[in-house]
Amino acid sequence: MGRRRERASPSGHGAGQFQPKKRTRSTCASLLLGRMTDDKDVLRDVWFGRIPTCFTLYQDEITEREAEPYYLLLPRISYLTLVTDKVKKHFQKVMRQEEINEIWFEYEGTPLKWHYPIGLLFDLHASNTALPWNITVHFKNFPEKDLLHCHSKDVIEAHFMACIKEADALKHKSQVINEMQKKDHKQLWMGLQNDKFEQFWAINRKLMEYPPEDNGFRYIPFRIYQATTERPFIQKLFRPIASGGQLHTLGDLLKDVCPSAITPEDGEKKTQIMIHGIEPMLETPIQWLSEHMSYPDNFLHISIIPRPTD
Amino acid sequence: MAEDGEQAAVSPQGEAGEEAAETGAAAAAAAGSAEPVLPAAGSPGTEEPAGDARKKIDVLLKAVGDTPIMRTKKWAVERTRTIQGLVDFIKKFLKLMASEQLFIYVNQSFAPSPDQEVGTLYECFGSDGKLVLHYCKTQAWG
Repeated sequence: MGRRRERASPSGHGAGQFQPKKRTRSTCASLLLGRMTDDKDVLRDVWFGRIPTCFTLYQDEITEREAEPYYLLLPRISYLTLVTDKVKKHFQKVMRQEEINEIWFEYEGTPLKWHYPIGLLFDLHASNTALPWNITVHFKNFPEKDLLHCHSKDVIEAHFMACIKEADALKHKSQVINEMQKKDHKQLWMGLQNDKFEQFWAINRKLMEYPPEDNGFRYIPFRIYQATTERPFIQKLFRPIASGGQLHTLGDLLKDVCPSAITPEDGEKKTQIMIHGIEPMLETPIQWLSEHMSYPDNFLHISIIPRPTD
Repeated sequence: MAEDGEQAAVSPQGEAGEEAAETGAAAAAAAGSAEPVLPAAGSPGTEEPAGDARKKIDVLLKAVGDTPIMRTKKWAVERTRTIQGLVDFIKKFLKLMASEQLFIYVNQSFAPSPDQEVGTLYECFGSDGKLVLHYCKTQAWG
């Protein structure tokens, strides 16, 4: 899976649709990736992240012959039901028509919510285990209490767009998303569906802007997940800029909405704060994280997981 | 709306006094539901006391288009109730068929996921001590 490096030409002409407002080599990007890096490189690294996955048919599914496992590189930023048509076809080939119902996925007994981004599911449930990620495929006994149905791609599109709208309600009181035309909304979805970074960001960059008199969004769209708690996620109002004008950090956010996660008992950090498979420094400004490490749905999905004891 | 004789998860509040509340606790829950609506970020961190998690929040239901209007519009709802739970309740109340669709919107701009909790929506999109939700039998805001 090679990445094409399309550089915007210095003059800004004819280099494709994506014109960054300025190329910034921020400290955040450099510290994050450990090399001389532009902020736009971070956007690409997030977009093109992949998880090597092995899909195995559940043993109780009835087949006409042996079902071989199926290997696939899953895009972190996408959704299971959007990228697994080939998986479905592969297993349906060895099953009888009457045994085939809606496909669903499970990892070590936990049904995987297709409406959560793939990278979030992996970080939350499997990030400290050996690759490939082993996912079990089911066609029977759909767990109604745990999973939403996904009868068509339209359902995924509706969910994706609803998340983007909710994020913009927080960032801009919905002004930016409402000013866009329907075709712009469609382009966001098509960019995601067809894995087209430039197509997606041509529109998404507008959702990452803010009025010049402000220093950031109104509120940051974020969700914090912990595999160990009952509640699905934590989502609250949080301003990226303090009243004195300083930039709030990731650490500030956690202290405010989830202090137990980062207060070390006896000095040892028991948890990892993970976004897209890495642990950003707690000093990172949350505004920068929101602009550069949100998922395509414009939310920062943050996992708090137990630190491996080695 | 009581389920299996347990305390009502959704209880009427305020208007239409003739409407018999499922349990007497409804009035008490309604009276005690004053929550700070838009907490400022970075405010002196007080972790929510466990009791708050069970407190109900006020939901105002508004009909869109020619969708039937609920006689009781204001409800005290448990924070952990999901949008799907609310949809099921409204459908029962309006005597709609289970197969009929019902869409719920926040801020007249987005339709939250069926598994989203109303408490979270209230925290982020509540105003004047309540969460306003529009409901519609057809897609209103996409």
